[in-house]
Amino acid sequence: MKNVLTKTVDYGQSLGAQYVEVRGQNLFKTSLTTKDGTVETAKDGSESGAGIRVLVGGAWGFVSLGKLEPNLLQESVKEAVKLAKATSLYVKAPVKLAEVKTVEDVVVAKPKKDPKDVSMEQKIDNALRMDKAIFGYDSRIKSCTINYLDVTGTSYFVNSDGTCIQQDKLYVWSRILASARESSVFASAREEIGSTAGYEVFDSQSPENLGTMVAKRTVDQLKAKPPKGGAFPAVIGPNVVGVFIHEAMGHLAEADLTLSGSILFDKIGKQIASDIVTVYDDGTVEGAFGSFKYDDEGVCAQKTALIENGVLTGLMQSRETAHKLNMPPTGNARAEDFRVEPIIRMRNTYLGGGDSSFEELIEDVDFGYYLKSFRGGQANLDGTFQVGIQEAYEIIKGEIGDPVRSASISGNTLETLRKVEAVGKDFELWPGRCGKGQTAFICDGGPHIRVGEITIGGGA
Amino acid sequence: MVAEHNTLELIEMGKKAVDFALKNGAQEVEAFLSFSSGTSINIERGQIVKSEKSVDQGLGVRAIYQKAVGFSYTNILSTKTVEDAAVRAYKAAKASKPDPTWVSLPYPRKYGETKDTYDKKVEDMTSDQLVDIASTLLDTVTCYDKRVLAVDGGVAKSVFGSVVINSHGIEVSDLGTAVGCSVETIARDGTNVTPACFEMDTRRNFGIDPVKVGTEAARQAVCSLNAQKMWSGVFPVIFTQSAFRPLLYYTVINAVKADFVLRDRSAFKYKLGKNVASEIVTVCDDGLLEGGLLTRKFDGEGVPCQKTAVIENGVLKNFLYDNYSANNSGTKSTGNASRSGGESYASTPVLEVNNFVFSSGTQTTDQMINQIQNGLIVYGVQGAHSSNPESGEFSVVATPVWKIENGTVTHALRDVMLTGVFFDVLKNISGLGNNVRQLGQFVAPWVKVESIKAVGAI
Repeated sequence: MKNVLTKTVDYGQSLGAQYVEVRGQNLFKTSLTTKDGTVETAKDGSESGAGIRVLVGGAWGFVSLGKLEPNLLQESVKEAVKLAKATSLYVKAPVKLAEVKTVEDVVVAKPKKDPKDVSMEQKIDNALRMDKAIFGYDSRIKSCTINYLDVTGTSYFVNSDGTCIQQDKLYVWSRILASARESSVFASAREEIGSTAGYEVFDSQSPENLGTMVAKRTVDQLKAKPPKGGAFPAVIGPNVVGVFIHEAMGHLAEADLTLSGSILFDKIGKQIASDIVTVYDDGTVEGAFGSFKYDDEGVCAQKTALIENGVLTGLMQSRETAHKLNMPPTGNARAEDFRVEPIIRMRNTYLGGGDSSFEELIEDVDFGYYLKSFRGGQANLDGTFQVGIQEAYEIIKGEIGDPVRSASISGNTLETLRKVEAVGKDFELWPGRCGKGQTAFICDGGPHIRVGEITIGGGA
Repeated sequence: MVAEHNTLELIEMGKKAVDFALKNGAQEVEAFLSFSSGTSINIERGQIVKSEKSVDQGLGVRAIYQKAVGFSYTNILSTKTVEDAAVRAYKAAKASKPDPTWVSLPYPRKYGETKDTYDKKVEDMTSDQLVDIASTLLDTVTCYDKRVLAVDGGVAKSVFGSVVINSHGIEVSDLGTAVGCSVETIARDGTNVTPACFEMDTRRNFGIDPVKVGTEAARQAVCSLNAQKMWSGVFPVIFTQSAFRPLLYYTVINAVKADFVLRDRSAFKYKLGKNVASEIVTVCDDGLLEGGLLTRKFDGEGVPCQKTAVIENGVLKNFLYDNYSANNSGTKSTGNASRSGGESYASTPVLEVNNFVFSSGTQTTDQMINQIQNGLIVYGVQGAHSSNPESGEFSVVATPVWKIENGTVTHALRDVMLTGVFFDVLKNISGLGNNVRQLGQFVAPWVKVESIKAVGAI
């Protein structure tokens, strides 16, 4: 494989490209879905192909193909050069790449339990045990969908700088979604598990325990009331802190979006958050769903500080944006697979820990909300964010009160970061999938925090 | 370059897979094959800087053994890989558990006519032509106002096709084209930054209008400057298509899918023949809509696409079915099985709407705005995917959004949340525009809702 890709790179250079990279992949996927105790379909699949990117006259050309035959790779690199040339006529600010160290490396995955060695029967059995626990918890549970996916295989990366990397891919992921109904009240809850370590992630708790937890969360919402709309103090749990940090802060600190005019555009080096706020995007957390050794530009992943003590100190970079901003590359360029080009993506993004206990966080709240787990979130370049909440409680006179359903929070990222009053000393990291045209596996999280004021949108 | 598409070859491969799985012991087999070939020119941060081309094809096999369903796919199409996928699908079925409610794969039926789904002129568009369109789009945005930046966007064309072969005698193929341009804009004036504004035009045939797209995206960005906060209240709200679509998608569209109904996840479960919307609302799902973005001869299981009445004058008429949910409901599939994603061969069928069409109203957009004394007009919402699909409760940020006062759009707003139950919103629709357009699978005019709770940040 290495030889074939190297020849393709050389051929691209001989056609006049300033930079050529070829990514080849062989991937295997196993997945299944169960719905209400029935296996919908047990699936597997294999795919291979290449993504070729070239830089000519300061413009990019990219060609992807679902094949790895040497003659087709050569044709494709030629096509990529042609595309880039046509585009380069319109380029005003030519693309240049930041220098990075060239690498030759082979990265082998070492799972304790390789998902390829676990039989389909066992994967199905695991899901059905969880399903059974969920339906067994309460007769008001009406539906349960469980998805499972594992991805294994190898990626190859060769570029014209001399970097040559062979890197195993390994992901296991599962999502449990349950719904309950009592007369006209509907409720739903979900849970996600994801790891780059191996199938052993499912050994940390039994399917029965996990199922019971999801079922309880679902059923508890049936008696929950809608929140009051308006601005209130809130204590936010790690699961919601994670999605807030990811959506409201993280995306704006992806250098391509920062350059596109996100509100962080002119804030580098400035105080943008309360001074107890520190935020990292970290590709090096062992086994975490957003971790990897090299990104899809062959850059070594690292732990990148985005906010330190309230000051915006870093952005997530590709080689292109790093050159443009004259900042160090960070290893954040990721491609979902060979079909698409690498773009700036988060890895494991989290808020650093503080020193408050949970009791200290809630004791001073006269009336507010405890936001425990989220349903989804989204942000805009101007810093407007929205996070849907699936599990929340009232806080009344420093104590956790009644459950609240279908709340959501919104606000402006910078205003909210300045209102962080206290940061907890606990820490949790949650796996998730992030969409930005392509899907990336990520984690987000942090400790519990207290925010002086946040806008709560109600359900009905 | 790479061999682009050869339907006959795909049909042969599909037949091979079906025969081979049957020979190995599968009781029913389906082969789904798809290919796509696309070229795009990308605009990034105010310049055209990238061209892309992608070619992909593959095969997905569903094999059924004693009511258990197995699936396997590959994107390499050789006799060996195709036979391998067939055997793996059969083995996956054997490893799985029987589904007692499985009846069968679909049987052949007669196909309807599709119009305007393939245009040779689109297939033949060169990358130079695409670059010209992208350049026009970019120039339109840039010349509209110095404060506007085209953040992201571009032009793309694609040719795609699919083949379904099954062991009950279904053997069909289809070929389609699409071309589109889109642009995301923001405006910046000093420290004042607008939210991202977006406009697009996608068609099955040649003839997109980059000037119209660029002008509208730039206009929205400029008008979004100097947004003000507002007090909470209950207001009449006009939703443009781009704002109404996501809310509808995560609530009502799920409620009319038969799998949601069968699994007790639909608020419409007992509502057939009853009022579920304002009487001015008529909705159908039309898989054969002329030139529709999701129009095709057959669905992801080879079942004919059709036009299905969903809501007529506010009354719920039908749910939408794929083969499996139809078999379990004692009815016929409405042709709503979708193979999702860019690599559709790698997915099993999922129940999805085709072209979900709201009938046109009679009012012009000006008339709709003129009738409102104190209200909002919303061009986009953020966070619709966090709506509760069963209860229809939503709580989203409206952006971009403008205030309407005394029949005129006055100024942009910020930090506005809209909350409610979407099934109530449907009953509360008081006006429909005459400006029907298609966005994704959604075809509709502007929709006016009489009262919605808006939470402001003052």
